[in-house]
Amino acid sequence: MAAVDGFWGQAWRRYRRRPLAMAALLFVVGLAAVAVLAPAIAGTKPVVCRYKGRLYAPCLAYFDRRLEPAIFAKDKFRGSYPRNLAAKDPQSWAIWPLVFQDPYRAVRADEWPGRPENPAMDKGVPSRAHPFGTDQAGVDVFAKMVHGTTVALLVGFVSMGIAGTIGIVVGALGGYCGGWVDALTSRITEIVMCVPTLVLILAIMAIIEKPTIWHTMAIIGFTGWTGIARLTRGEFLRLKGAEYVTAARAAGAGPVRIMLRHILPNALAPILVPITFGIAAAILVESGLSFLGFGSPPPTASWGSILNGARSNLGMWWLVVFPGVAIFLTVLAYNLVGEGLQEATDPRLREARK
Amino acid sequence: MATYLLRRLLLGCVTLVAITVVVYGLARSMPGNPLTAQLGEDPSRKVSAADYERMQRAYGLDRSWPEGYLQWAGNLLRGDLGRSITRKQPVTTLIGERLGPTLLVSGTAFLLIWMLAIPLGLYASARAGTVDERGVSLVLYALYSFPTFVAALLLQIVFSVWSKGTAWELPLFGMTSLPPDAPLAARIVDVARHMILPVVCQTYVSLAYDTRFIRATMAEAVRQDYIRTARAKGAGPWRVLVRHAFRNTLIPLVTLLGLSLPALVGGSIIIEQIFTWPGMGRLFFESIRERDYPTIMGLTLMFSVLTLLGQLLADLLYSAVDPRVSVE
Repeated sequence: MAAVDGFWGQAWRRYRRRPLAMAALLFVVGLAAVAVLAPAIAGTKPVVCRYKGRLYAPCLAYFDRRLEPAIFAKDKFRGSYPRNLAAKDPQSWAIWPLVFQDPYRAVRADEWPGRPENPAMDKGVPSRAHPFGTDQAGVDVFAKMVHGTTVALLVGFVSMGIAGTIGIVVGALGGYCGGWVDALTSRITEIVMCVPTLVLILAIMAIIEKPTIWHTMAIIGFTGWTGIARLTRGEFLRLKGAEYVTAARAAGAGPVRIMLRHILPNALAPILVPITFGIAAAILVESGLSFLGFGSPPPTASWGSILNGARSNLGMWWLVVFPGVAIFLTVLAYNLVGEGLQEATDPRLREARK
Repeated sequence: MATYLLRRLLLGCVTLVAITVVVYGLARSMPGNPLTAQLGEDPSRKVSAADYERMQRAYGLDRSWPEGYLQWAGNLLRGDLGRSITRKQPVTTLIGERLGPTLLVSGTAFLLIWMLAIPLGLYASARAGTVDERGVSLVLYALYSFPTFVAALLLQIVFSVWSKGTAWELPLFGMTSLPPDAPLAARIVDVARHMILPVVCQTYVSLAYDTRFIRATMAEAVRQDYIRTARAKGAGPWRVLVRHAFRNTLIPLVTLLGLSLPALVGGSIIIEQIFTWPGMGRLFFESIRERDYPTIMGLTLMFSVLTLLGQLLADLLYSAVDPRVSVE
């Protein structure tokens, strides 16, 4: 019954046998679902509503401000939907998010019929209305964390996408071409490695006039590729002497084709492992920066920025515990996925298991 | 060998020049300068435009950054790291003052890490595959993924806020809370109490990483033929593990030690910032915020030299101990 599956098919079969790695993968998939559905889970804008005879989806404004339908600004809703909808169009209806709480502001008294004002400062102890409590300004921590999931996921993928691309290109060129190209790329890698990362990030964030979360991701990506480059270089050095590469060269394949089609697929598995670990590291760096107050500016809901609020008031333990556990679990999940990948694709580790 | 060393040293100098140029350029491109960062904090110290210009000239801030860099590099070649603009002290004195506190924390953490990591790593290798080994590995893995700043905040909450007034209460931040004329014994106890939380934070992450590293290199070593030979001639399991396998993992271990050199001296910016520990990491953070160019450059130079030296040392040790690896 030996089904014919390639290297990745086999790797997936081995990966699936590891319960912890599978649980970690499911956790990451779950996080992605939370990130995509965030405006439907927590928000103060209707997911879908019918207003003056037309259907709108104001909740999309949480992804991008420009997606907020213009009619609500024109009718002076001022971001407060429940009462305005009923008052300005009695025929209107709306589907609301699961939790009526906003990640960017405190919900005012009676904004939602019968609901009291969010407690501010150290009165925001977790309660039935606010399972994760509220922060100094009275913003619901649960809503903030749900919307912060997007940042946590994006940081990992965007920054490691950048770092992976740079690392593979630099490492492949150095390893395959050798000679002066290798000398140059090795030197560049060494320089980037020696500059203290946090200093580089702090300096660049200060230089950029209006830093956004995208700048943070880009900087983490542009500084985090050195390990990937060194590993790729080693793999290419090892594989460029392989017989199938010589065969490809004899068949007339150019250097770019050999690097991309022949060597890279065979070097990809060991390179993917540090990239996965890199995602975990990138999440740590971003939340660390936000924690120090150097991350993305305030309106962005990042888990690290919630922690920053706890620094000035240690009595508000819920501002540490919930985002802290979220960061920890996410980092742990990526590390476990990375390790599962390593064990599933590294033939040396497989032999050891027998 | 000599030509190899010479080449590495020359290349290292090229790398150093590149790093310092990049960092100096970046530092000077940050908005503001040491004077505005300092004066901005205190409105009573408003200075006239003429005074400001005079101060700018005195510190060489009126020149472009390439000129400023050349001046800094020239002074460096004469063995002068310059004076801190905001602290009015020579940079070397400043670094000397901060080195002690950082070494106190990172050195203690370093000792703790290796005293715990080696037995734990050996234990994990000896019991590989059993339930308790999996438990230990999972706990270490979890610790490795636990962010230090979260751990630091949690420790502060538990030992400073919740334990207020009990015997468990530990100081929240700083290095000492006694006046300098207190008796020596009391001062030692006081500093030790201040050290506990930063040391714990710095220890646990590296402990997890290093134990896993030892475990991984051991897993590689026990598969070698000489281990089978040792078993075949009747050596006991612990003897095989310690005398035959562990000795052969010492090379990568020494390499790891070499690479952790800059972290040992540099301290951790985040931990020192949270516990307001007067060490090197905090000095770095403050000097960036104050735009204190000479201090930024002095610290950058020190870190880069240590990193390059650590790499060179690691490569040399590798080839010295393992004849299969050649540096040439």
